[in-house]
Amino acid sequence: MNDFILTSLIFTPLLAALVILLLPVRLHKPIKAVTLLAALVQMGLAILLYFRFDGGAAANGQMGYQFVQKLNWIGFSLGNLGRFQIDYFVGVDGVSISLVLLTGLVGVIGVISSWNITKNVKGYFLLYLLLLTSVMGCFLALDFFLFYLFFEFMLLPMYFLIGIWGGPKREYAAIKFFIYTLVGSLFILIVMIGLYTSVIDPAATAVQMGLLEQGQAASAEVLTQVQQMLQRNQISNYNLVHTFSIPAMMEPANFIPNSLLHVLSGSILWDMPLRFIAFLLLFAGFAIKVPSVPVHTWLPDAHVEAPTPISVLLAAILLKVGGYGLIRIVYPIFPDAGTYFSILVGGLGVLSIIYGAMNALAMKDLKKLIAYSSVSHMGFVLLGLATLTNEGVNGAIYMMFSHGIISAMLFLVVGVIYDRAHDRMIHNFRGLANAMPAYTAFVVVAFFASLGMPGFSGFISELLVLVGGFGAPEATGLLPRWLTIVAVFGLLLSAAYYLWALQRMFFGKFWIFPELRQNALITDLNAREYLMLVPLAVLALVFGIFPHLLLDKIGLTVNGYTEMVLLRGQEQLGLIISTLQK
Amino acid sequence: MAGTPQTTTALVVLLLPLLGFLVLFMLGKRLPRQGDWLAIGLTAVAFILSGWLFWQTWNTATFHTRTTWFSLPGNSLTDFTAGILLDNLTVLMLVIVTFISLLVQLFSMGYMHGDKGYSRYFAFLGLFTFSMLGIVLVDNLLLLFMFWELVGLSSYLLIGFWFHKPAAVAANKKAFLVNRIGDIGLLLGLFAFYTYFRTFDLEALRLLIGNGVWEGGSFVTTYTLNNQEWLVELGPVFLTVAGLGLFMGCVGKSAQFPLQVWLPDAMQGPTPVSALIHAATMVAAGVYLVARCYAFFTPEALTVIALVGAITALIGALVALTQYDIKAVLAFSTISQLGYMVMGMGVGAHDAALFHLSTHAFFKAALFLNSGIIIHAMHRGLHQHHLSLDAQDIRNMGGLRKAMPLTFYTYLVAAAALVGLPLFSGFLSKDAILSGSWAWAQTMGGGLYFVIPVIGFTVVLLTAFYMARHMWFIFFGEFRAAFPVQDLRLKAGQEIEREMLLPVILLAILSLGIFFSLNPLSFGGSWLLQGISLENLSTSYILSDELVQAVIARDAANHTLHLVFGILSTLLAAAGISWAILKYKSRTAEQFLHEQPQGRLAQFSQQHFRLNEFYNRTFVQPTLRLGHQLYRIDIKVIDYVLNNGSKALVILAKFIAWVDRWVVDGLVWLVGALSKVMGRVGRGLQNGKVQSYFAYSLFGFILLMLYIILF
Repeated sequence: MNDFILTSLIFTPLLAALVILLLPVRLHKPIKAVTLLAALVQMGLAILLYFRFDGGAAANGQMGYQFVQKLNWIGFSLGNLGRFQIDYFVGVDGVSISLVLLTGLVGVIGVISSWNITKNVKGYFLLYLLLLTSVMGCFLALDFFLFYLFFEFMLLPMYFLIGIWGGPKREYAAIKFFIYTLVGSLFILIVMIGLYTSVIDPAATAVQMGLLEQGQAASAEVLTQVQQMLQRNQISNYNLVHTFSIPAMMEPANFIPNSLLHVLSGSILWDMPLRFIAFLLLFAGFAIKVPSVPVHTWLPDAHVEAPTPISVLLAAILLKVGGYGLIRIVYPIFPDAGTYFSILVGGLGVLSIIYGAMNALAMKDLKKLIAYSSVSHMGFVLLGLATLTNEGVNGAIYMMFSHGIISAMLFLVVGVIYDRAHDRMIHNFRGLANAMPAYTAFVVVAFFASLGMPGFSGFISELLVLVGGFGAPEATGLLPRWLTIVAVFGLLLSAAYYLWALQRMFFGKFWIFPELRQNALITDLNAREYLMLVPLAVLALVFGIFPHLLLDKIGLTVNGYTEMVLLRGQEQLGLIISTLQK
Repeated sequence: MAGTPQTTTALVVLLLPLLGFLVLFMLGKRLPRQGDWLAIGLTAVAFILSGWLFWQTWNTATFHTRTTWFSLPGNSLTDFTAGILLDNLTVLMLVIVTFISLLVQLFSMGYMHGDKGYSRYFAFLGLFTFSMLGIVLVDNLLLLFMFWELVGLSSYLLIGFWFHKPAAVAANKKAFLVNRIGDIGLLLGLFAFYTYFRTFDLEALRLLIGNGVWEGGSFVTTYTLNNQEWLVELGPVFLTVAGLGLFMGCVGKSAQFPLQVWLPDAMQGPTPVSALIHAATMVAAGVYLVARCYAFFTPEALTVIALVGAITALIGALVALTQYDIKAVLAFSTISQLGYMVMGMGVGAHDAALFHLSTHAFFKAALFLNSGIIIHAMHRGLHQHHLSLDAQDIRNMGGLRKAMPLTFYTYLVAAAALVGLPLFSGFLSKDAILSGSWAWAQTMGGGLYFVIPVIGFTVVLLTAFYMARHMWFIFFGEFRAAFPVQDLRLKAGQEIEREMLLPVILLAILSLGIFFSLNPLSFGGSWLLQGISLENLSTSYILSDELVQAVIARDAANHTLHLVFGILSTLLAAAGISWAILKYKSRTAEQFLHEQPQGRLAQFSQQHFRLNEFYNRTFVQPTLRLGHQLYRIDIKVIDYVLNNGSKALVILAKFIAWVDRWVVDGLVWLVGALSKVMGRVGRGLQNGKVQSYFAYSLFGFILLMLYIILF
């Protein structure tokens, strides 16, 4: 069971998609039932994984992956160019466990929210399941190629889900989303290929060299031996097994001497070490997904046009792939550039916080307001990561989880009014609290959770990020203090746009725009909506009051992570600079 | 960690109101009487338990239980702790908060009777009581901040309780946002201390500060954490700024200048809420915060605090001079009194400030509850006679003392306490602050420092004037609204509902000085003041120890001056009252009805120095405009580049397609066409005639020969 839990997590939805493929188009109920079942199974597995995951297992200073499954997928010899190797390599650690749990939870909420879809039901749920598989795959893959595959695969269902089931300007939004993401993945692809040519898998190389038997576990000595031989150019090209393995890429000793991205290669492009360029490309690729200002403009459009459940998924899970990529791939592989450019990453984070919040203040469409609030909140992820302090990185991960829960709630809440009035412009409504008291209560809960009210998970994450940021000049010396001080003003702005929206839309005398009245049926929440909103509100509270539920799982991994990235970052940065000076 | 019975009880006290909130919010409408009995019962239990805790703790022991809330594991383990600390200050606040909360809820049974949101109201009051008790009980700054924000939330919910009133929802938004400005400072202050001392725990922080020494102009302290030696070296400027950051929290919540603008608007909430939250308890939380963090303020920070307090006291009093709304007068008077407390903190009269906090809680709650009774009565009368006058405008009142004698006398007692007449509680606490400020000015070296005590005495005069004016408008002269004054009373001939009687009377009685000091003419013997003096709290060492000790010593030595101050402030109060009476005694009802502030200064005062307009013009509007501008950047710059970039790509693609069609395809076509032409030519030659073929081969032969011969 333990060996296959991750694989089942990834492929359960895909299996369900196959079943749906075989069902006739007319059978709406069974199609929905199968989707719900698959999402429930995935959630169950995610919860099981969460409980089984041992937060104390990661030893200090080490990255511990658990439930690892590694299989040869594609492998062939390229003669002089060594061996081509792609693995099916999945595993979970403290960084991914929270997002796996989140995906499991929000996946089910999304299905419930999709229950009223009437247009091409079969296609919709098929794509929905594909999306779940690819997102889960992204969070669990430890092989860059596998990650990239899932990463790209997210694009396809998302494009169609927005482009077919979306609002009036859906084609524009879908193509914008597509172009942005595609450009981002292009950057990632370039660096991935560069890394592939530079990195070997020491264990597989040992097998190739005859130091190990096939299938024999590699001991630490053998690995070190291979790595030392590699650095002394003592391994023939025929025996080098190139790899996409992310853990292998994190090890500077696995880089082939004089390869493009080796620390000591001295390769320069546009007056910059190539490793820095590679970092910037990867960063740009993932920053689009985060999204960070100034590459965020696809998000408001995508949200405004996407149907409610897809908005929920987009905000709650898909955005997290960006932050996750930064944490999992960009920083550990390029710790040198990561520390060098921390001011850029943190600066863009703070810019996103303030800029997103300012924009939200100017919005007339409630959904767009919330989309910009997402931009603002995801800025905290960048800031937290850039601090490279324990508090900051824990806070960044906590923010991803918490934003997943809270933004899901926010978009559901917008969906509720849109379902009833087919409109969500703030100035078309007034005093909704009079007609929809329970709904307003949930809006207030969601808004206050999002603006960082203590007791909700958002507060813990913002607190940790800001504490980390404020202490960073002392602890890691990476970020100037004024950056965090500016970021704190984001808390004021987020309160401003939420409370203003509450004042304009929900309080006062009940009134809706006359033209909306004939189509609008203003009723309070129904059972299905309670079913979605109550669990999310409870989750936001539980993780706000008992943060150890999550932090105990991720804390040790993060500690090892920050130590490794900082240490290697400074070391490698020194090497790069000294090589360049020669 | 298992707590002592005392801390466990304190936890129960904390959670009881929360339980009330949860039950009432979810099921309130289905409970008999909408569950008000539950809320009141729980608060009563909390009050009784608080009383027991007071008896256990006051001047006998402190209890402290602490446990790990969550931790970030790693080499530098960071524990975030949570705990409950019971000392004199805590139990005093505990009793005040639960007592006034209980009275206000009792009062609300009558006041809010028949309101649509009756159960919601009691639920929110429960949430407020919970959060306020949290602030009081917790032992660390992070938790304090969390409850601080929750108090802000409950205040938001209660100010906007009548959410259909646009003014109420504008006011609650404003209150929350203005408070958040202060909270930003508070948060940054917390970060500053956490960054260097790795803990939010108040006791630990005080110990660390206590271990420090001033060396060469900077504050140096060492401590061991995770078996690692840490050396902290902080400059005085940093410490001052960090301390002022903490103080920012107080500026927001306790409505100090320049953030006091939210409090007058907050009067949009139900009047019992104003009594509980915006007069007696929540707004005092800022003063409580300063008291709790007293160890962390440098002398420079304390000077700023004193100055802010004095300015606030003066502004509040000046604006209160010209208000016509019954609650606005009380609101500005609250601002002014909070200014006194903060000023007391700043001048080192820590205990006097807390003393004033306690006395103020009772007499101001009494004033607000009474004003609620008057507003209700006016409403009733106006409604009965179908008049649409402002029920809160004191110009429409007058002569109420005959129709509402009970209200008059309780109001009179509480107002006397506010003005600070001898024998009333305010006299004791205000004089303690004033003499402290005088001693402070002496210690600081006189000169300009005397501005602060002088402001303090000026405010006594102003307070006496505006309260006398207030009383005169409401209770004296003749009744000015167009209906018989007896219609203010309830139908049964009663003045007020039975439930409302007890709270008002109790609070008025507690405005007497005798309850706070056996000698009601001198604050020196006050049991309360002694109990909350610095040495009786767990504050062992404070950054400005030298200064504060000097002030205390100086104050103790000022024997004769104390007598002078007592007489002086009484004279000032008498002068203020006579000034008001002389001014308004001979006015006719007509003149009262149409009174407007005369002159520029009076108008300026009535409009709260136009601070709201100023803030709106300089901060709010520019921020909104900036938001719109930034959105234009999104549209006009980023998306413009993107869209036109895409368009350019499409044009390029079209061009390439054109090239493909006309150049590449054209070439291919050309080749095809050429071969076609060639074929046609060739086909023409092959006409099947032997003669032609012969002629061609002859022609070819000749060409061949020519080639051979010529080359």
